[in-house]
Amino acid sequence: MAGQRRRSRKREQTEYFFDYSLLFIVLFLLGFGLVMVYSASYYEAFSDTGDVAYYLKRQLAADIVGLVAMIVVANIPYHFWERFATLGYVVSMILILLVLTPLGIERNGARRWIGVEGFPFNLQPAEVAKLGMILFLAAMVCKMGKSVRTMKGFLLMVVVPLPIVLLVWQLTNNLSSAIIIMGISLLMVFVASPDYKKFVIMGAAALGAAALLVVIIVNADSVEGFRSERILAWLDPESYAQGKGFQTLQALYAIGSGGIWGKGLGQSMQKLNFLPEAQNDMIFSIICEELGLFGAIAIILMFILLLWRMMIIANNATDLFGALLVVGVMGHIAIQAILNIAVVTSTIPNTGISLPFISYGGSSVMFLLIEIGLVLSVAKRIQLKT
Amino acid sequence: MLANNNQIAHRKKILVVFFLCAAVLVGLFGRLVYLMVWRAEHYSQLADDLHERERSIKAARGRILDRNGVVLADNTTVCTISVIHNQIREPEKVIEMLCRELGLSEEFVRARVEKYSSMERIRSNVDKETGDRIREYDLAGVKVDEDYKRYYPYGDLASKVLGFTGGDNQGIIGLEVIYEKYLTGEAGTILTVTDARGIEVDEAGERRIEPVAGNDLYISIDRNIQSYATQLAVQACAAKEADSVSIIVMNPKDGEIYAMVNVPEFDLNDPYALPEGTPENLSAEEKQDLLNGIWRNGCINDTYEPGSTFKIITAAAGLEEGVVTPQDTFSCPGYIVVDDRKIRCHKTAGHGAETFVQATMNSCNPVFITVGLRLGVDNYYKYFEQFGLKTKTGIDLPGEAGTIMHDREDMGNVELATVSFGQSFQITPIQLLTTAASIINGGRRVTPHFGVRAVNEKGEVVETFSYPVQSGIVSEQTSQTLREMLELVVSEGGGKNGQVAGFRIGGKTATSQTLPRNSGRYIASFLAFAPADDPQVIAIAIVNHPKGTYYGGQVAAPILRQLYENILPYLGIMRYNQ
Repeated sequence: MAGQRRRSRKREQTEYFFDYSLLFIVLFLLGFGLVMVYSASYYEAFSDTGDVAYYLKRQLAADIVGLVAMIVVANIPYHFWERFATLGYVVSMILILLVLTPLGIERNGARRWIGVEGFPFNLQPAEVAKLGMILFLAAMVCKMGKSVRTMKGFLLMVVVPLPIVLLVWQLTNNLSSAIIIMGISLLMVFVASPDYKKFVIMGAAALGAAALLVVIIVNADSVEGFRSERILAWLDPESYAQGKGFQTLQALYAIGSGGIWGKGLGQSMQKLNFLPEAQNDMIFSIICEELGLFGAIAIILMFILLLWRMMIIANNATDLFGALLVVGVMGHIAIQAILNIAVVTSTIPNTGISLPFISYGGSSVMFLLIEIGLVLSVAKRIQLKT
Repeated sequence: MLANNNQIAHRKKILVVFFLCAAVLVGLFGRLVYLMVWRAEHYSQLADDLHERERSIKAARGRILDRNGVVLADNTTVCTISVIHNQIREPEKVIEMLCRELGLSEEFVRARVEKYSSMERIRSNVDKETGDRIREYDLAGVKVDEDYKRYYPYGDLASKVLGFTGGDNQGIIGLEVIYEKYLTGEAGTILTVTDARGIEVDEAGERRIEPVAGNDLYISIDRNIQSYATQLAVQACAAKEADSVSIIVMNPKDGEIYAMVNVPEFDLNDPYALPEGTPENLSAEEKQDLLNGIWRNGCINDTYEPGSTFKIITAAAGLEEGVVTPQDTFSCPGYIVVDDRKIRCHKTAGHGAETFVQATMNSCNPVFITVGLRLGVDNYYKYFEQFGLKTKTGIDLPGEAGTIMHDREDMGNVELATVSFGQSFQITPIQLLTTAASIINGGRRVTPHFGVRAVNEKGEVVETFSYPVQSGIVSEQTSQTLREMLELVVSEGGGKNGQVAGFRIGGKTATSQTLPRNSGRYIASFLAFAPADDPQVIAIAIVNHPKGTYYGGQVAAPILRQLYENILPYLGIMRYNQ
């Protein structure tokens, strides 16, 4: 194995491949994200901090740090990381547990961040866990070899992410990140396992369970807890306009008032303190309001292109580890983009998920860029056929 | 390296993952199309409602004009000057300009200009010329808002009839209340866009929905008659040191009121002013009671015992029922005994033998009591109701008082006797006048009124008001007989002071003692119509609590004489007595 690897590395160094299309798409999304973060946040930033570019500056800094990290990772052969897979899993878990220590930072009523005083960036352990899980599962599947095909192997792959998922969900009270991690894991398992039937059943079961839950909540006499009310607010945001439906409804106002052509960049009304988290989870609705349906299509197309590039890289990866890494990253971005747009358009109940590369949020963008770095690194190994 | 078939399986699965994700994204794109195309209007509307703050623009209230188009209630434009702190660019210039134009101290203006607030009012009720001048400076941050204020060109003329308006230009009393919906108009709005904290967004500009001015109201009052009647009432009030003097002038054919005077009137342009000598330390409630007293329209809101003028009604009932004819003879010994009560005539020596016509001229109580008793309680009550005395007149002013009358069951001969000459029950002056008008106009009960028509801004008639008329309350024969008898009252009887040279006047005087009976307080009144053979105008003058002479024939009749001397030629009633 070791000899083979060394030989292949030599070969690729002579036929250097760098996926510029992918890089371009990511840079476009980042640049677009900066413009939109500024547009969505300047009003609130000015009234809150006196600096119109407060959010823009912080996001730009995170982007730069992320891009540097991406370039570094892209130039490190991805197999270098294989040996850290287990360590990554353990570190993810420790970081999540650190949220409970004094290092944990509480924001908007949720304890999801850790940070050291004086250091400008705080870390969201859930972001680390996503990357860690991608790495760990990719490495594990490769180690398992043929046993992947057995039922035991399948169960193992499904069970392994659960501890992290449960910790993220329960300790940091972050259902959306837990869903994303589980989703990434299942997509990777789906690709690794040759079977279809199990997944179709699982998918149907999940959909059935979700539908059942909604029916139970709708028919329940009293509404208890924050999530069940969210579901009612999702079904009829206008009746919950002052409560749980507020953000959803404000997002719908923004999207609806954008129309086909939009109000023009910077012309959003909803960002004037009406829509909470306008620069963050709800940025897509501001895009819709300012750039209209065409702006929204453009962004969705960019994401589809991004996924397509990653699919090409995954399919041409020189080995399963590389392919699975790319699939994990692809799954991460796809799930997050889909869930974010679905939440913003009130297609699914409201939950906090940011739009990859575009939403304001340092941890998120830095880890996404590191993941892109991994994908670029996998791409670099691809043998060009002349 | 991967086994080949495995690799193919993985590739297929990766493709599946990609297409799944892409399909979901396309589905979301479909959802967006639905939201942004089909639902766009709905959500834009909701969003606009959320973003826009309304400032209303007052609509000009309709004017009130007299029958000849003289404006009795008008609007003036006043301006409110405010400054918006964060829009001011040249604070020093603004302060200097406002001080000069508004004559305010620099200290006062500076404090307001420099105060950090969304909008600071500098001064309201600034006249339009000043407002326009300030606007012409075109200094950023200075706002001139126009507003309408009610203005009554004739001050206290017909104050209790016209009424006045409050801070929001809504009617408080009088016609201003009754015709509110015609006068008020529709307020316009200025829509401004604000952020979630209510701060206006400058760039967004504003949208205006123009106000619709209220309709002009044409009323039956004739300014000249009203002001002349007011003059006479004021004179009489002063001369007789009376508490108040009321005059109503009406067209008996259709109930249009030419004048309604209640002296003392009050200044409509300053309705809240308290009379001089009012103690300073009144509670709000006491103050309001005092004002309500000042604003009270005695012709409509207050009842009184009409006294002898009511003999018109008793005579009409007796003639109509046939229990008496003008030629019937009576004998008045100066009193009459009803059951166990002895009721005196005002002439204690008695009028002796007299016909019914003479008894009317003499205003002889025993004769009218006799007529009342001949009618009996049931018949009398029947006519009382038939003449419309139990119901309100339906005049278009608020707060008309009802009649205070014995219940049918409680009425014995004594009560009947007193009612017959106008005592022991109370009606409003307008009720008496309307009933008298209906009896002498041929038996048509008219509705007294002011409102004639509402005309919109463009001069189109929006509505011509119509009022119910009930015909046949007395026969034409009775009506004519009464006109003749009442003409004799003026030409030869107790109403001599009401004679107007060259005109045929019919009328009846009254002197009623107010309760309690021994207070020595009287109400002198005179009701008269002209021309006597074809009444075109009917009027009543009531002097409350005159000092000195208190007889209706001496106190009230001269008022209407003077009135008729002037208004009959003015109204074009030139039918001289032949």
